Formats: sequence, structure tokens, C-alpha cells
Amino acid sequence: MTTAPHKVEVDVSHRYGSLLVHDGLRFSVRENEFLCICGPSGCGKTTLLDILAGILPPSEGNVLIDNRAVDPKRDSISFVFQEPSTFPWLNVWDNVATGLRIKGKKAGELRRRVNEIIDIVNLRDFVHYYPHQISGGMKQRVAIARAFATDADLILMDEPFVSLDQPTRERMQREVLQTWERRRHTVVFVTHNLEEAVFLGDRVIVLSAKPARIVADIVVPMPRPRDPLSPEFTRIRAECARILQSLDPVVAASPPDRKMAEAE
Amino acid sequence: MASNEAELGPVQDPGGEQRVQAAGFVAPLSPGAAAWQARMTGALVGLGWNTFTLIIVLAGWQILTILINSRFFPGPVAIFWAFVDLAVNGDTGGRTLWDHAWASVQRVLVGFGLAVVAGVPIGLLMGLYPRVYANSRVVLEPFRFIPPIAWIPLAIIFFSGMTRFAFLIFLGAFFPVFTAALVGVSRVEPIHRKVGLVHGASKGWILAHVVIPTVLPDILGGMRVGLGAAWLTIVAAELAGGISLGLGRMMSNYAELVQVPQVIVGMVLIGILGLIMNEVLLLVEKRLFRWRWRVTL
Repeated sequence: MTTAPHKVEVDVSHRYGSLLVHDGLRFSVRENEFLCICGPSGCGKTTLLDILAGILPPSEGNVLIDNRAVDPKRDSISFVFQEPSTFPWLNVWDNVATGLRIKGKKAGELRRRVNEIIDIVNLRDFVHYYPHQISGGMKQRVAIARAFATDADLILMDEPFVSLDQPTRERMQREVLQTWERRRHTVVFVTHNLEEAVFLGDRVIVLSAKPARIVADIVVPMPRPRDPLSPEFTRIRAECARILQSLDPVVAASPPDRKMAEAE
Repeated sequence: MASNEAELGPVQDPGGEQRVQAAGFVAPLSPGAAAWQARMTGALVGLGWNTFTLIIVLAGWQILTILINSRFFPGPVAIFWAFVDLAVNGDTGGRTLWDHAWASVQRVLVGFGLAVVAGVPIGLLMGLYPRVYANSRVVLEPFRFIPPIAWIPLAIIFFSGMTRFAFLIFLGAFFPVFTAALVGVSRVEPIHRKVGLVHGASKGWILAHVVIPTVLPDILGGMRVGLGAAWLTIVAAELAGGISLGLGRMMSNYAELVQVPQVIVGMVLIGILGLIMNEVLLLVEKRLFRWRWRVTL
């Protein structure tokens, strides 16, 4: 895996007006890699994903996919959002088909792919249901199926399980890994939960608070399925936690202090 | 609901494959036979109660007319016979009730149709480009407050026949439809637009597959309000005269002759026609918006 080519190369800085959000974020994602990005709340993780998706141009720098600037019309990118994003007027089947329809897949191919992914995520019995008839966890599963149904060059996931209860969350994490192992897409998964990051990722990038910088880039050399209670898991998790905690004064700083810190 | 079951893991379903295949593009809601039966039973019970209420009210009314015994206060029986007479023999000029009703319905459909055809695209356009609306509302908004009835004198001078009525009804029905589309656009969830954008969808795709499905329930609601306004306008316009056909005209004629039952026949028929059109729109809503929790009433 470490020899796989770089699929995505990122080198961006971003600001909202005078507020610096990303301060020279530079990293790459290998083909088929499951990269987790972890950082404190409000460090611009969602903004970073919008930039990676090519729907928000960064103030400086660029995002390259296969050595070309990202373009949602040409590249196949999927996004699993934090909030419910299924279309309430479409049933489960048609929701899963949405990405493929936008990409103009032919009917036969489209049906085959949708049915295949629906089997993988166990939604087969619910293809006729509308989103209001199913639970929040299932809606998120539909959104995940929609993302994995395409030949995505890149799948972006923005804290997709943050609103789910713990057991559902754990099961969905396992499901995403299973789906990913079957399809081997390149995934960038954003979370503020270290345990989740270490559980899922081939690699974990830790961001500082705003203005976000990369403070750690840790390879997780553990085979899956991973046991969160194993010594190695605990060690990696602790290492990430220590790095995040060392940044804490910045997080806790009051706005004027932070301004001074920025000025320095 | 069934969702809890789903959370517990894969559900064994040997027939699933076929159903998935059958789902194709137009996956129906496919309520079970039992659910359908339950719905039909519910509908019949509702119909029964409505019939009961209607009979009680009519009977009370009839009793009241017997007690009062005035030719200015006819009961349902007298109105029924007036109805039959008008429907079969026609009015003093020989025109039947149906001639009048059809004339009115035609006018409503033409004017209302024009209002929908104009109101929906203009409302969507202004909703999607709020600056167009913000910079032109000084021209647009005052018109909303000029009641269509206030246009009748001008309309009588400028137009005649169908054009006049279509124009007046258009004025009455346009704003409810336009406003519904305009306001509906603000209900589009940014996240739904983003789903389209990340997959590289064009503006046209987002309009057709995100904006319109979101706004459609509002538009249908606006159409039902507009339909009410259309009937209000048509009757007022017909009462104003200058024509010989139309339910409003017929009522006005009989009022001059102090023939109360015939006037009430006109009123009742307008109520029934409005109800039918409203029910048709509701039916469309129910079919289109099965995905919603419930239909707005």
C-alpha cells in the first residue's frame, strides 16, 4: 500500500476575510488509502472537505487529483455529509442511484451497481421506503451507499456518524470498512473523535485549532479488524491524544490572545 | 417502525432480489393489500359521516323554512326543484344551468391556467435570483394589494368576452401561485444542492431534481389558494354585467326578479364546482407527495 501512487495532492491555505482558516495544509493521499483527518471542533474540517471536493476554491494553493486540478464535473467525487442529505422525495433505491444518474450512467449498468451496493449495505428490504420512514442511522447508510455506488476517485466523509448513538456508530464504522474493503476507494474521513480515526484509518492526520496546521501525520500499521483495547491501538491513540493536548492552550485562548498569537 | 428491525442487522428475505429488480426507476410505494383495505375502510367511514352531517344540516334547514314560511327563505326542497328546472328548462332566456356553469368554468380554467404558467416560472426565477426580486419589488408588490375586483371597471373598458375574464382571473390567481413558488425556493436545503454539486451536476440538473421537487408542494398549495381567488374574481366580474352567460350573471338576473331559490342554486353550484377542482388538486398532491409525512390541508 505504501508503494501506491499519490492519488490526491493537497497544498492549500484558506481564509474567510481576515480570518485564516488553513495555514499551509500540505499532504497527499495514496490510491486506495483510507485517510482520517482529526482535529478540534472549529478547525475548518468541513471547509477543507469542500475544498477537496472542488466546490470551494481555496484562497491559495490547489488540490490535484491524478495530477490535475480537481473538477467535480470531470472527477468522480462522493461526499457523505454530517447532516442528513438524502432527498426526501426519492425512495431509498432512487437516492442511492442519484450520484450515478448525475454521472449519466446507462440504465442497465446503473441498476446493477445500485443493486450491488444495496446488498452490501443491507438496504435490500427498504428500497421502496422514503427517508421519513426510516431511522437516522439508515438514512446515513443510504448516503454512504450513494457515495460508494459511483466509481469515485475520492470519497469524502464529514463526521458521518456524529449524530448516531454509540452502538449504531460502531456498527456503521465496521460497515464502512467492509464496504471500503470490497471496493477500495480512496477515502478521506474527517472526525474529531480520535478513537474513530485510529480505528478506521490507514493514516491519521492531526490538525491544530484555527488556523489549522498539520501537527502530526501518523501511520496506523495495524491490520483490520482492529481491537480498540489492544496495546498498540491504545498506544497510537494516546500518542495522538498527547499531540492534541499539547495544543490545548491555543484552543483555550480567548480571541484577543489568539490574535496576538497570530501576530507573532 | 420497521427501521428498528433494520438496525439489528441483515434481514433474511428470499424474495428480495426480484423486488429490487422490479424497483427499477418507478418504484411504487406498494402498500400491502391490508393497508389498502384499511385506507378504503377509512375513506368509507369518512364518507358516511360527511353524508350524515349533510343530511342533518339539510333537514334542520328544511324544518326552519317550514317554521318561518317566507318566500325569501327557501328550503333545500324548493332549491332542489329550482335546480332541476334550471338544469332542464333553462332560465328566462332559455339558457340552461349547464350553459352558465360551463361558461364560468371555462373562464376560470383559462385565467387560472395563465396564472400558473406565468406565476411558477417567474416565482422560481425570482426565488433563485433574489436580487431580481429585491430590485423589482417596488413594481411588483403594489399590484398584490390592488384587488382583482378593483380592475373590473378598467377591464370592462379594455376587454370583452373571454379576454376580460381571463385577465381578471389571472390577476386574482397569479400572486398566490407566484408567492408560493418564490417562498418555496428558500426551502431548498443547501445540503441537497451540495449533493448535486459534489457529483458535478449542472445548474439544470439541480433545478430539475432539487429545486422543483422541493418547491412543488408549495406550488400546489399556492394553486389551491389561487383557485379560490379565481372563483371569487369570476363571480364578481360576471355580476358586474356586460355579458349574458355565467353563473354570476344568472344569479344577478334572478336576484333582480327576487327569485331567491335560483340565486341559491347558483351559489351552491359555485361551491360544488370549487370543491371538485380543489379535490382534484388534492388528489394530485397526494399522488405526487407520498414522500411527505402528510398532505397539507
